[in-house]
Amino acid sequence: MDKKIYEFEIMKGFILSNVFAFSIIGITRFLKPDPGVLVYAEFVIVPLLMGIICAWCWKGLEIKRIQLTFFSCINGTLAIFLSAVFLKEGIICLLIVSPLIFAFIITGVFIGRAMFKKSNQNLNVSVVSLLFILFFVDSVSKHQYENLVSDVIIVNAPPKEVWKHVVAFDRIEKKENFWLFKMGMPSPVAARVDGYYEGAGRKCIFSNGYIFDEKMVSYKPNQDLTFDIVKQPRDPEIMGHIDILRGQFILKDNGNGTTTLTGNSWYRLYVFPVWYYDLWAKSITRNVHLRVMDHIKFLSEKR
Amino acid sequence: MFDFVVRNFGFLKHVPLLPHIFDSMLKLCTFVFKRHLLDAFDRIEGEVLSWKGATISIHKYGGMQFNVHKKEIGHLHSNGLLDVLYSRKIKKMMMEEGRISNHHLFKKSGWISFYIVRPEDEAYAIKLLMLSYSRKVIRLQPKA
Repeated sequence: MDKKIYEFEIMKGFILSNVFAFSIIGITRFLKPDPGVLVYAEFVIVPLLMGIICAWCWKGLEIKRIQLTFFSCINGTLAIFLSAVFLKEGIICLLIVSPLIFAFIITGVFIGRAMFKKSNQNLNVSVVSLLFILFFVDSVSKHQYENLVSDVIIVNAPPKEVWKHVVAFDRIEKKENFWLFKMGMPSPVAARVDGYYEGAGRKCIFSNGYIFDEKMVSYKPNQDLTFDIVKQPRDPEIMGHIDILRGQFILKDNGNGTTTLTGNSWYRLYVFPVWYYDLWAKSITRNVHLRVMDHIKFLSEKR
Repeated sequence: MFDFVVRNFGFLKHVPLLPHIFDSMLKLCTFVFKRHLLDAFDRIEGEVLSWKGATISIHKYGGMQFNVHKKEIGHLHSNGLLDVLYSRKIKKMMMEEGRISNHHLFKKSGWISFYIVRPEDEAYAIKLLMLSYSRKVIRLQPKA
């Protein structure tokens, strides 16, 4: 085959699949009940269809597996780059989404390859139609998901000592050990309060200067600090895709000079599928918890 | 990695598309770390397709399935694991050659597993598939 025709067909696959993907994502913004929510269809069905479109464009080229996988990776990278440009997604967000994009584009390409080899038009139309129906149904459906992450540590200090560092604490100087924090994801560094009473404001300050404004809704010294998040930063990096709703520290006196410190966080996800993004949400929330709780432990145990 | 996932998360194979996604991840790993295997898969596919009545399809649990007259003779996962179906008698005989093992899941069945790792494994993989193909063709032939 002429090299120019070959290159043209490859480029056609890249261009058509990406134009399709971004057009359909743009159109569904108007269909979705909540345009800010990114749904299963956009992360699963769109990349799958992108792969099938590529396979359709490349069906006459007899491309080897190795090249097909390579071109799928190029197409995935292109889609991720275009997401950064058009959807204004941040680097960490794109890093999190990339396994889904690559996996589904490769799957789509190889499913498409098998489909177009068989030349069964009825089957091909049925598969593509089914994917479109799934996409439409998922796009117009209401998506809501809230969850709680809970972590427990033992502090070798009585509740009275621990409480001093729970409500507000000085800057965390310890080096980051969670890989996403090391990559630039903001991590908590300090907490400040307007006053030591129920209803007072609290501010949780993050490493990049972000401030979460909180209101203490339960203030029981040496026992329970619960706060609602009243304002949080909107940022392309994660923050637009997850809202922390409420935080809580529960202190339990173990009667032997130690305290069981429980940290709870309630959050709402704006990205789906839950089976994928909740893994990340839990991991990130857990590491935020542990960074703060380890700091509280360090300050409380310091003599 | 493959064995760990199959052993611990094998029950998820019935979730639509999930095995195919897993196979795509295997393909990506193979592409990065054992690129030469993808070319071997192409050659195996080409060879099998040259046999009369042989076709290729997507295996229901991910990978490439080899069929003869729409009956499966084996399948190849994207990490190079080839599973081929024989009778138990043939399996026992083949096991004596020492290159194959029991199927990674169905140990007591006629299924066998063979890992394609080195270049010379490609020819043996084709031999294994050919044996299963020949038996299936003989069985499917109308009796005189």
